[in-house]
Amino acid sequence: MNLENVIPGVAEPTSSRRWRHAWDVLVVLTGRDLKAQYKRSFLGFGWALASPLLQLIIFSTIFQGVLGSRIPNYACFVFIGVLVWGWFQGSLGQSVGLITGNAALARQPGFPLSLLPHVTVSVRFLHFAIAMPLLFGLLWWNGLRPTASWSALPLIIAIQYLLSVGIAYPLASLNVLHRDTQHIVSVLLQLMMFVTPVFYDIRVVPEPLREWFYLNPMVSIVDAWRSVLLYGQWPDSRSLWILSGVALCLIVVGRKIFIAHSHRFVEEM
Amino acid sequence: MKDSRVIAESVCKQYRQSYAVRRKQRDTAAHANHAWALRDVSFSVGPGEMLGVIGANGAGKSTLLRLLGGVGRPTTGAIHVNGRIGALLDLGGGFLGDLTGRENAILAGVVAGLLRSEIVARMDQIVAFAELEDYIDHPVRTYSTGMMMRLAFAVAVHTDPEILLVDEFLSVGDLAFQAKCNSRIKSLRAGGCAIVMVSHGMDQVRQLCDRALWLKHGEVAAFGSSDVVARLFETEMKNETLKRTPHVAKRALGDGVDLVAGENRFGTFEMEIDSIRFHPGTALRSGEPLAVVIGFSAASKISAPVFVVSITRDDGTVCLDTSTHLARKEVPDLHGSGHVRFTMDRLDLGPGNYFLDVGVFESKWLHAYDYHWHAYPFTVEGIIEHKGVLAPPCTWEMGGIPAGERTRTN
Repeated sequence: MNLENVIPGVAEPTSSRRWRHAWDVLVVLTGRDLKAQYKRSFLGFGWALASPLLQLIIFSTIFQGVLGSRIPNYACFVFIGVLVWGWFQGSLGQSVGLITGNAALARQPGFPLSLLPHVTVSVRFLHFAIAMPLLFGLLWWNGLRPTASWSALPLIIAIQYLLSVGIAYPLASLNVLHRDTQHIVSVLLQLMMFVTPVFYDIRVVPEPLREWFYLNPMVSIVDAWRSVLLYGQWPDSRSLWILSGVALCLIVVGRKIFIAHSHRFVEEM
Repeated sequence: MKDSRVIAESVCKQYRQSYAVRRKQRDTAAHANHAWALRDVSFSVGPGEMLGVIGANGAGKSTLLRLLGGVGRPTTGAIHVNGRIGALLDLGGGFLGDLTGRENAILAGVVAGLLRSEIVARMDQIVAFAELEDYIDHPVRTYSTGMMMRLAFAVAVHTDPEILLVDEFLSVGDLAFQAKCNSRIKSLRAGGCAIVMVSHGMDQVRQLCDRALWLKHGEVAAFGSSDVVARLFETEMKNETLKRTPHVAKRALGDGVDLVAGENRFGTFEMEIDSIRFHPGTALRSGEPLAVVIGFSAASKISAPVFVVSITRDDGTVCLDTSTHLARKEVPDLHGSGHVRFTMDRLDLGPGNYFLDVGVFESKWLHAYDYHWHAYPFTVEGIIEHKGVLAPPCTWEMGGIPAGERTRTN
């Protein structure tokens, strides 16, 4: 078998072309997911606003009106929790079925499957982003003005993005081999919401137990958002450093696992 | 095996089985052979060539296409691919009903490896090719199956693939569209695109493909000129519909090669080829004459059969494929035994290993009476002064070059 004489086809795609193509895949598939989700509904993308708004109303009525929570600016407090947690939960909940729900893409020769978790997390991020002006309006209305610490927000967003993608990789590949994963994940996410301070303050958790809560990365992230937006303080830099490290490790290792298993995806489906 | 776009080197594929299946099969003895989806499959496809992959359902055709596309890895063996792959695997499978034709086309193009700007630039061509000018901005869920497939095909052929993998696609659409697809396929091939097509239509394979690969339970049953392989396949199908497995004894041919029905021997055996003799022998020098004497016997009267001889290089390249039909040689009705002699005045083949395939077919080519595939190997020796299949005597002469010019350039 003489492989030296194999004719040279087009030059290997340059790395700049590969990046541009990856970007196009991200944009086009994100657009596809958004359109598919909202195209035939009357409110369309407005649902991205409506559902966190409804949650806000329910939580603030129950916890402030009925249970009498004493947290100041409780509406803002709860809205931050709902939005940040919503992005995380939505990303992971959907990433589990990434490969199983995109069989046609998995069968496409040469398609960079490893971009799919980015697509899902980006789609959920857009839902998050569209509700942000609402949050800022609510903050302004409650007398909270932007401070210098707001400049930390992009960093917090980036950490959450990397963290979500990093967890999405192994989940999506695991679900191809064991379909139980999607059910386990949906139960775990539900449990995890209660150990994330979405509608309560982490300080109500008794001291020895609180340490354990910080094993949940979303505790630090929700904390960071609140200290920036509600108290005008810089987020706790130590926990952000740790989280960045964890997120980077997850994304590198998770992607490796994903790519190592990707040749088995189609035959296992 | 030079200058190839796709090379498969003894590819084997064994699917991992789930625990439940493994446990069930532990009790049944005869599972060992069925675990292989592909076994020792080798071939190559050069630029501009078209290979048809045929076989019954579950023979491993789709698995093969998938492996060629890099979706999954062979268990052993290797696949070398040189060029960008385009695929028509599940037509319109990635389409989203709620998006318009245009949005889906952009999606399909980007997924196939184009930049968004590139697919947008080709959109007019694609729409015109698919004949969907009036519908391209309607949601795909309002399309008929035919319209969807036209769009999928149009996108795939406009992504400039260098290798195109097609799974049973071209038989759809009306005749006019099929003609358009065929001409597009021709122009892709003229541009150097290698095509591998899975098909159940033997006429299509004969018409479009240069060569065909017949897979049977994951193994190569026959590989060579699409004409012959398609006919062998039809012969076997005929035997199966007649529920008749011909009982012919295994015959030893010497050199450790056995002639076994269903493996390297196909036919309905109403007429049999008894013997093949090479004159002068099976080790030849390039340029020597070669005569092949085909001994046959017919138990009943066979009307005007067609004798076929073809020569294939060991990498599957068809060097010669001829028949009494093509040579317009009248063959009388035959009964009893006799022989046919096929003579080549010069065998101008390059050095290498070859197979002689011989057969006798029904007068209208409907099926094979007897066909011996890759049962008669022979070698050609010679000085390696050529590349390629042909090695005729040739010389170089210098003329019209002034002597002074020549020295000046030195």
